[in-house]
Amino acid sequence: MIAWTIYVTFAGAILLLFLPRTSARWIALATTVAGFAISLLALSRMPIVDLATFKTIVRIPWVPMLGMEYHLAVDGISLTLALVTGLTAVSAVLFSWDVDHRQNEFFFWLLLVVGGSYGVFFSADLFLLFVFYELVIVPKYFLIAIWGSTNKEYGAMKLTLYSFFGGALVFIGIIAAYAATGSLNLYDLAQFQFSTQLQSWAFPVLFLGFAVLAGIWPLHTWAPTGHVAAPTAGSMLLAGIVMKLGAYGALRVAMNIFPQGFHMWSRYIAVFAVIGILYAAAVALRQRDLKFVIGYSSVSHMGFVLLGLATANALGVSGAVLQMFSHGVIGALLFAIAGTIYRRTHTRDLDTLSTMGLSRALPFAAFAFVIASAASMGIPGFSGFAAEITILIGTWKSYPMAVWITGAGMVLVAAFTLRALKKSFFDTAVSTNGGTTSVSSNASANALPPITIAEKWGAGLLMFATLAIGLYPRLLLDRIMPAVEAMRFLKQ
Amino acid sequence: MYIELLKLASPETVVVVTALVVLALGLANERTAGLCSGVAAAGLLFAVAAVLMLPQQATLFHGMLVITPLTSLFKIICLVLAFFTVILARADLSSRNRGEYLALVLLATIGLMLLVGSEELLMIFIGLELTGLSLYVMAGFDKTDVRSAEAGLKYFLFGSTASAFTLFGISFIYGMTGTTALAAIGQKLTTAPVQPLLFVGIVMTLIGFAFKIAAAPFHLWAPDTYQGAPVPSAAFIASGSKVASFVVLGKIVLVGFGPAQGSAAWHAMVAGWAPVLAALAALSILIGNLVALAQTNVRRLLAYSAVAHAGYTLLGLVAGGREGFSATLFYTTVYAFTLVGAFGVVALVRRETGGDDLKNFSGLSSRSPLLAGCMSIFMLSLAGLPPLAGFFGKFYLFSAALRAVDNNGLLWLVAIALFGSLISLYYYLMVLKVIFVDEKSSSTTQPLNPSTSADFLQEISLTVLAAVVLFLGVMPGTLVARIIAAVQ
Amino acid sequence: MITLGDYLIVSGLLFTIGFAGVMLRRNIIIIFMCLELMLNAANLSLVAFSRFRVDAGLPNYNAQVFVFFIITVAAAEVAVGLAIIVALFRARQTTHVEDIASLKF
Repeated sequence: MIAWTIYVTFAGAILLLFLPRTSARWIALATTVAGFAISLLALSRMPIVDLATFKTIVRIPWVPMLGMEYHLAVDGISLTLALVTGLTAVSAVLFSWDVDHRQNEFFFWLLLVVGGSYGVFFSADLFLLFVFYELVIVPKYFLIAIWGSTNKEYGAMKLTLYSFFGGALVFIGIIAAYAATGSLNLYDLAQFQFSTQLQSWAFPVLFLGFAVLAGIWPLHTWAPTGHVAAPTAGSMLLAGIVMKLGAYGALRVAMNIFPQGFHMWSRYIAVFAVIGILYAAAVALRQRDLKFVIGYSSVSHMGFVLLGLATANALGVSGAVLQMFSHGVIGALLFAIAGTIYRRTHTRDLDTLSTMGLSRALPFAAFAFVIASAASMGIPGFSGFAAEITILIGTWKSYPMAVWITGAGMVLVAAFTLRALKKSFFDTAVSTNGGTTSVSSNASANALPPITIAEKWGAGLLMFATLAIGLYPRLLLDRIMPAVEAMRFLKQ
Repeated sequence: MYIELLKLASPETVVVVTALVVLALGLANERTAGLCSGVAAAGLLFAVAAVLMLPQQATLFHGMLVITPLTSLFKIICLVLAFFTVILARADLSSRNRGEYLALVLLATIGLMLLVGSEELLMIFIGLELTGLSLYVMAGFDKTDVRSAEAGLKYFLFGSTASAFTLFGISFIYGMTGTTALAAIGQKLTTAPVQPLLFVGIVMTLIGFAFKIAAAPFHLWAPDTYQGAPVPSAAFIASGSKVASFVVLGKIVLVGFGPAQGSAAWHAMVAGWAPVLAALAALSILIGNLVALAQTNVRRLLAYSAVAHAGYTLLGLVAGGREGFSATLFYTTVYAFTLVGAFGVVALVRRETGGDDLKNFSGLSSRSPLLAGCMSIFMLSLAGLPPLAGFFGKFYLFSAALRAVDNNGLLWLVAIALFGSLISLYYYLMVLKVIFVDEKSSSTTQPLNPSTSADFLQEISLTVLAAVVLFLGVMPGTLVARIIAAVQ
Repeated sequence: MITLGDYLIVSGLLFTIGFAGVMLRRNIIIIFMCLELMLNAANLSLVAFSRFRVDAGLPNYNAQVFVFFIITVAAAEVAVGLAIIVALFRARQTTHVEDIASLKF
């Protein structure tokens, strides 16, 4: 059943090419909603026991001569990520409701990203996974280069080349595993005992290849530029889905098939993750562009994911998966709000925004941004808290030192989030600047078009998700934990 | 004996007859251009049918004419490529002397078929020359364009020098082994140690082929020829000639020189032809991709990318063995179809805007979504992105290279190739950027004859080519199975 | 007594002269002649090899047949080459390679 997420999405994409532009957004909405509904249905219908192992759902020979199969499987981890993909996709479509430049193409590329991501999350064959993984690259380029803003061609090209570079490393890793075993099946590979020598070099290559897309420091630089250049929906997809592809690949492929290699390198990964958390948070504190702030915050949050993965214990890794979900939702929400502000004020400069008194002009946006910021800072009751606390508990078992440093990082996160929140919505600079500017800026602020219904729905969906998981994380954790425990790299 | 020859060479015979008919038709009347195209296309299709009716296995005159599933498959591929070239020529060339041009295409096709279907150095040489001589004329065919004659001359000079090298190499190989049949050469080499003179012969033979496939540093003719020659000629040079050359090169090195392979593995180089090919491959990938970055003319860009692709394709031969050879064959086939398609798009754009620089492509997606879509499929396949055939081709090729030698000995070469792919993605995306992102600026493009609507037939053939590239990417097994079965 | 080695030396020399001419000379007609020289070097070595490889009292005639084909091909090559040169000369009024550089990197 869950495999239909892939088919529906690609069918919708192809349909878009042939239908008139007036219906484009409705088709896109219907497609993404269908995908999301299918994953929700799977969440409610599939017994938790079944999600404990990577269970085959489709298996058809594809290129039998070379051992390639069309092989899909699902477990709790895949399902969680499919959910966040569906959520982000629906709200991304809602937030691009008013794209009027070449709509069909826009939604076509958007659906390709979404469909490819579903494909990655459900692939149980390395070649198939790689196909879907690379499939996502080009649509991102076009989404950014055609519909983006601020230095879009540079941002798009940088992102694409980084992705492709990561892909090349992944490719070497995959072939190394393939050459040693003659199989591309993730099950077989996960049982195979690779030689230590092979693992010691193939693991870092493979992991790094995936981690490029997850925004690992110091290869994260594509993320802020790419996010800033992308259109609203593009940033939402990047933060919500694409960065997860990297983290998911690192977990499912690199760590799962090269456990010894992983143990050799895990502490270095932890070091890089912690540096990433701190560095990105510190840089975010200094940014003037709202989207750069959020872009760096994404890198910082993804640092938590990598840290969770590096712990190599069930709690840490499960927390990492939960954080993937959580950051997918929160990151998408933050970018969505930044996008709505930009569309109305045509600026993202924090100093300029601070003179506008936006909290009065756009109360709903302000509300949504407060929720998102709270979730981003890790306030209890939101998904960010549930995820990060799980990761930190897991980290405490493996690297107690890292918890202390990361704690400092969380303070930085809170600092830059509050700064962005205050500057963009609640700054009182207006009144201190004197009466005249206050009046004029208020006038301009009042003239802003109100938040549309579509935007409210999109934001509402994401806010609901972060609250729901924040209040009841077990909904996902119950499904993630057994799946993580089934992996063989865990140190028990 | 001769009856059998006629039977086994029936496809070639059909093409020869067609060529003569087309030539006569063209000479008889200037206004028969459309008819000539029709006859040529029909003859090619007829030849495909003739190939299908050949027996599975046959050998004539000690390997002068060999029929195996492999030769049949690649004869069909060459014929199909020629077919698309004929369609391309229909739209691109003025109808003056169309008959002569088509006859040359057909003659070149015969050369390709002889090349593919022979395991004898004399026959291979004659096939090479027949192809070469026809292609030289085709490159210089457009008398209204100075650049065409120049392209023809450059192609001719480099080509003849290269064939002189091949010939000299062949003479040494003959001298050392006493035979010109590939299988016999292979047998001799297994028993006798490789003498220096023989090694010289092998290297000189390879140089001739390196020229044919445009591998660096023997690629200097390619950019000028691709840019200056009439578009259909360039397309045929880049596709048909390349496919056949790779088939023959593979046969020569794997069957004939097989025992002298040596090894190109890092730290474990063993003298033989493999290190020579590995060096050619590495050089081609680097030079081709880096120079392509600087191009502003799409045809020149395709030429340098062709150099790089020749490098990738050589990887399979360096790896050797059945898997390496079939990876090479798959890749070069896919590449040929992709390139014919890309040149088809270039031809249409050129006719519409009067040029084939990058700027002529700007805003193509709004002018003609179909062309833009086809071009993006071709470019992305060349760049090696899924779900297109180029992606699977590269995967197959690189994995064959890594799996061939123990301990990933060819990792250095694959790493270079991946690095090259990364660079190439940049310039292919630049082409697509111009097509999709840039708006058409009225100042840069003045349509020559705005009234010309794109040729319907040509659009269909481009769509078919794009569909083939997509299909081979989604279902590569169909072709790979055939190639693997054919490569014994 | 003239040995196989002597023939090969002459043939190698011819080939080298031909190749040097192709590389260094600037007049297309002379480049052409040098190309022929290279082909004939191959002919010479083929014939020499054929003559000195004696099986059961008879030379191995394969290569001598080969030579006839090469001579024919060379003639065809000259025809095509001269035709291209004439076409180019009509357009440019020159036979010097330096002047033929409208296509440049």
